[in-house]
Amino acid sequence: MPSQGASTSGVNNGTSTRKDSKRPKSSAFTQQELPACKPLLTPKWVITIFMLIGVVFIPIGVAALFASRNVVEIIDEYQTVCVPGRYTTNGEREQFIQDVNQDKHCNRTLTVSKLMKGPVYVYYQLDNFYQNHRRYVKSRSDKQLLDGNATDTSACKPEQYLSGDLAIVPCGLIAWSLFNDTYNISADGQQVTINKKGISWKSDREHKFGNVRPQYFPNNLPRDLNGSLIGGASLDPNTTVSKPFIVILLNEDEDLIVWMRTAALPTFRKLYGKIEQDLAAGSTLSITINNVYNTYSFGGKKKLVLSTTSWLGGKNDFLGVAYITVGSLCVFLALLFFLVHWRYPRRLGDTKYLSWNQHASAN
Amino acid sequence: MMNAMNVPSKRSTLERRLDMLILILFSILFIMCFIDSICSGIFINRKYWYLGLTSDVEDQFNPGNRFLVACLTFLTFVTLFSPIIPISLYVSIEMIKVFQVTQFINKDVKMYHKETNTPALARTSNLNEELGQVEYIFSDKTGTLTRNLMEFFKCSIGGVIYGKGVTEIEKAAARRNGTGIEEMESPAESHEKYFNFDDDRLMRGAWRNEPNPELCKEFFRCLAVCHTVLPEGDELPEKIVYQAASPDEAALVTAAKMFGFFFFRRTPTSIRVRESHVEKIGRMQDVEYEILNVLEFNSTRKRQSVICRYPNGRLVLYCKGADSVIYERLMERHNPFKDTNRDHLEYFGAAGLRTLCLAYRDLDINAYEMWNEKFVQAKSALRDREKKLDEVAELIEKDLILIGSTAIEDKLQEGVPVCIETLAKGGIKIWVLTGDKLETAINIAYACSLMNNGMKQFIINSDTKEIRDVEDRGDALETAQVIERYVAERLNESLRQAVESEQTQTGLELALVIDGRCLMYALDPELRGTLLKLSVMCKAVVCCRVSPLQKAQVTSMIKDGAKKITLSIGDGANDVSMIQAAHIGVGISGLEGMQAVMASDFAIAQFRFLTDLLLVHGRLSYLRISKVVAYFFYKNLMFTLTQFWFNLYTGFSGQRFYDDWFQSLYNVVFTALPVIIVGIFDKDVSITNSRKYPQLYKAGIENIFFRWRILIIWAISAVYQSVILFFFPIKAIEEGKNSSGRMLGLWDAGTMAFTCVVVTVNLRLFLACNFITRWHLISIFGSILAWFIFAFFYSGFRNPLDKQGNIYQVIFVIMGTWYFWYAIVLVPVASLALDFLHEGMRRWFAPYDYHIIQEEEKIKGVERDELLLVESPRQAPEQSLELTGLHGEMSKHTGYSFDSPCFDSFFASQEGVSMSQRSYDIARRASMRVSRRQSSDLGSDSPPPGHNSLI
Repeated sequence: MPSQGASTSGVNNGTSTRKDSKRPKSSAFTQQELPACKPLLTPKWVITIFMLIGVVFIPIGVAALFASRNVVEIIDEYQTVCVPGRYTTNGEREQFIQDVNQDKHCNRTLTVSKLMKGPVYVYYQLDNFYQNHRRYVKSRSDKQLLDGNATDTSACKPEQYLSGDLAIVPCGLIAWSLFNDTYNISADGQQVTINKKGISWKSDREHKFGNVRPQYFPNNLPRDLNGSLIGGASLDPNTTVSKPFIVILLNEDEDLIVWMRTAALPTFRKLYGKIEQDLAAGSTLSITINNVYNTYSFGGKKKLVLSTTSWLGGKNDFLGVAYITVGSLCVFLALLFFLVHWRYPRRLGDTKYLSWNQHASAN
Repeated sequence: MMNAMNVPSKRSTLERRLDMLILILFSILFIMCFIDSICSGIFINRKYWYLGLTSDVEDQFNPGNRFLVACLTFLTFVTLFSPIIPISLYVSIEMIKVFQVTQFINKDVKMYHKETNTPALARTSNLNEELGQVEYIFSDKTGTLTRNLMEFFKCSIGGVIYGKGVTEIEKAAARRNGTGIEEMESPAESHEKYFNFDDDRLMRGAWRNEPNPELCKEFFRCLAVCHTVLPEGDELPEKIVYQAASPDEAALVTAAKMFGFFFFRRTPTSIRVRESHVEKIGRMQDVEYEILNVLEFNSTRKRQSVICRYPNGRLVLYCKGADSVIYERLMERHNPFKDTNRDHLEYFGAAGLRTLCLAYRDLDINAYEMWNEKFVQAKSALRDREKKLDEVAELIEKDLILIGSTAIEDKLQEGVPVCIETLAKGGIKIWVLTGDKLETAINIAYACSLMNNGMKQFIINSDTKEIRDVEDRGDALETAQVIERYVAERLNESLRQAVESEQTQTGLELALVIDGRCLMYALDPELRGTLLKLSVMCKAVVCCRVSPLQKAQVTSMIKDGAKKITLSIGDGANDVSMIQAAHIGVGISGLEGMQAVMASDFAIAQFRFLTDLLLVHGRLSYLRISKVVAYFFYKNLMFTLTQFWFNLYTGFSGQRFYDDWFQSLYNVVFTALPVIIVGIFDKDVSITNSRKYPQLYKAGIENIFFRWRILIIWAISAVYQSVILFFFPIKAIEEGKNSSGRMLGLWDAGTMAFTCVVVTVNLRLFLACNFITRWHLISIFGSILAWFIFAFFYSGFRNPLDKQGNIYQVIFVIMGTWYFWYAIVLVPVASLALDFLHEGMRRWFAPYDYHIIQEEEKIKGVERDELLLVESPRQAPEQSLELTGLHGEMSKHTGYSFDSPCFDSFFASQEGVSMSQRSYDIARRASMRVSRRQSSDLGSDSPPPGHNSLI
């Protein structure tokens, strides 16, 4: 055949005129023949992998669940009970909380059901409080927190200045709305110290807050400021407008530092302090709450939480349950598929399954 | 330039669909923003005193004007959710395509043509994936399917068939049947151009020992004398060049030369032939034949005769022509081979050969003189000379004695029938659009195994007696009406039959042959629909005598009418409009002019490279690009949805869940490279199997990998994963703390979720790709690593990028908790479980074809691709075939075809161009010959026998 002659001469040509040849260089890459592994999700693999996930996940989940279950937690919701019963609506309660002349101390008695090994952590939990609201999140000046410079506080709107021109340090909505309920705990009549040191993250304390002396920090308690302001806590109860310089420095005020690490969801807990002693089972805790923080206007709950920790953390069943659920689902699927595979095995690579072969056999 | 059209800019169908997808993403974006902004207007309230909404409130949060709040928040959300629009997708796709083009298509050694030293060339990178969805191929004939080289291949003399060659189509048939694989030594002789014949019974004078040597002699003389060829150059067999009006004639005269009847000189009245081995083996003598009359060839006569006088006074008429006209004029008696010869003609025809019948008649001198008078009269007539000449010719062209028939191979490009068969198996329909005559076109369709005798053929041809009669009357309007009526009738009738045949499910394949003139009317708006319906039902469509513009019109008809993806392939300037009209234009490079290549999107050297271009590169590109687009869609939708869920919990304020820089770098750095790697490398089955199973290509035609169903599955997966990816991390740390009791905040949650997102999205690719090279591993794990490195640096020290210091130390804080490690294992596994389940079930219960072949590869292994090592495709072993191998009972096609010198006249008359057809034609042929000679010179260093072992 002529083509044969042509192709042989082609070979001949190729060797003699290799230099001018435009023949592409052949490499595994350009010819798309790179070595590769081609994992196929065959039924056996599907079953194996599901089984494997199940086998690994269930124990991990059980461990997490155990850790979570070992945590002892006491939760007390107090926003309603700490307001005298005659105030029945949130509106009335709000008026109560803003009334300077009312005593807002409130006593709660709780029983420790199970031994709480120290340290016991004290939290407050707020609800319906959008610390993650965009207006709220950005209303702070990190520069100022670090160096106290009050010149550029535009980020802090609308809490930049007190009475028009007095630059606030620390400025912004977050600092301004600092939580200010206080708890006083005694166990079986014994006063329990709540340690406020070390409740914030070290990185925050050391690198985000400087040796800054707060000034003109608005005290939300209307006692001092003719009733117009409803912000958060005073950083130092002893200051007034006329005497604005505050003794405590920002990087020492761990309540503020904790508060300013804004929460991800509108329901959140924040660490209030640590009780560095065991609370025996059955002991009675009497807690005096100074209930001054206003969550009534937006109907938010306030809870006091006492909790121990495990190696994993606090009481949170979610991870354990999720692991066990995913794990058991996988085991279930693995077994199901195993049965299907055992009953109706599919022969791999059987060309009769090819669509065109099926059409052919259908015809 | 009447046939010139605006050069269209081409975009692939997949890319246009991608635009739709982007629109959908925009609507999703709009819907999400709309919901959130309405809710934000409702949410905002002075009761949230800690938001400081009493005085000095900017409009966006002013509860006094909730409508304005909603409007402004809408804009905030647009920026927040903007990552849903995959801007980097276009860049990534472009990179992938450029890679495919420059590294794979242009560097494929399988598409490199040694003889012309031409590699494949992609001239655009826009259409790679379009190559994977082609359903219709429109092909030019000459230079594309064929080499425009006629070779004398076989003959039948006196009822005996000579010639051992096997045509491509016979080989293909034998391969299909799996029969007759007998090795035969390849012809040792270096062969002459136009001549590819080997049979010891005829060569070197051996014909003298055949049963009918006299008839053989007549056969050779007929070949040597009955033609209009001009010899040029030295009068030596090796050096002479025949100037023929058609390559068929050149082949026949060359054949005569090879048989020992060397025609070397023509004078106006005579032909000189150097005859060897006639009287005695080895003896040579020059014989002069006086040419008395030449009755020329035309398309109505379909024959050509020469009346010549031997030196000894014998007066003979030699005639060659179509079997139909010759058989009508045979003498009743004295033709014992009539039936055998007809069988042979059918066999030749089915084998794709072009046949001519040869006959002669001894004339009586008196009868001749009488006839010659009439002839001279007719010749000098002023009116209707052509017609009169034809009539006179009829008088003498009768009582012929059949000599035999010739079979010429219109040399196909290498591997064309196999390629066409392969493409057909892949669900691609191939149409031949050619300027050639009907017979030639049909012949080639047979030779390319496009058509066979098992097909029902609809032939719509303007060259009928009825139409000719009307034309002779010269009324252009009437002619047009008659043709139009005829075309409409034929089309409707054909369609009716086609539908009928479809309904009765006879399984009969249909073929449509239509000529350019009829096509002109068939493309009218009224008939267009019918033509379209009919043509899509046909397995093979051949359009002959079509102008370049019509080629483009036919292409557009399918492109716009049937909404199918079309590819045009051609080599010459007359194919340019068709190449531009189709979705993809392919030019044959390496030989003649560059116009087709310049207009094309891809240039290949040989038609057969289409197999590689479509089945390998096209299919893989389609697969890859669809995967990349779907993946981008998923990854951005999922990412944005997590932010959407988050904002349900932020009072619809538009707060970011992730740091700005995380969000910006998500598409650009943390998830960019792996998908590009998949887009470049992914390969479902091996290259060998891509070719071995052309049916895999159907997935592209049916758009299986990029239909809405696939995208919906990805979207479901995105929604599911976004739910997991938002809620799991946030639930995990909601009331969580580490063992020191400290709580995690907003940015801790965001960073943790983002880590899970990056890990999940990158690992998802492992489920999506079929093929894991180390580049996949490097890019996927590299991207995850890049995130961690970035996070370590970014949160490692206070930096100006993070103005609020939100992220400062965050990664270390969360990595110090067990929650992080729990979440980083749980979240990706839980997210990917659904996809894993889906992929596994898909393969198990509803496998795609490629799944099966992957498994087959896994079990049997892939055959090493030999083609990589061998320079050019291996020749199938020569086979000798039984005559009965091809011709069935239905066989009707006898393969008559002869390029008359005026074969282009149709266009000339259509466009009002008057030119000397003949000189034009000869000039064209002559120029072709020069170029062809150059190319054949390249290949004609006849190889030393030892080199055969290489192949």
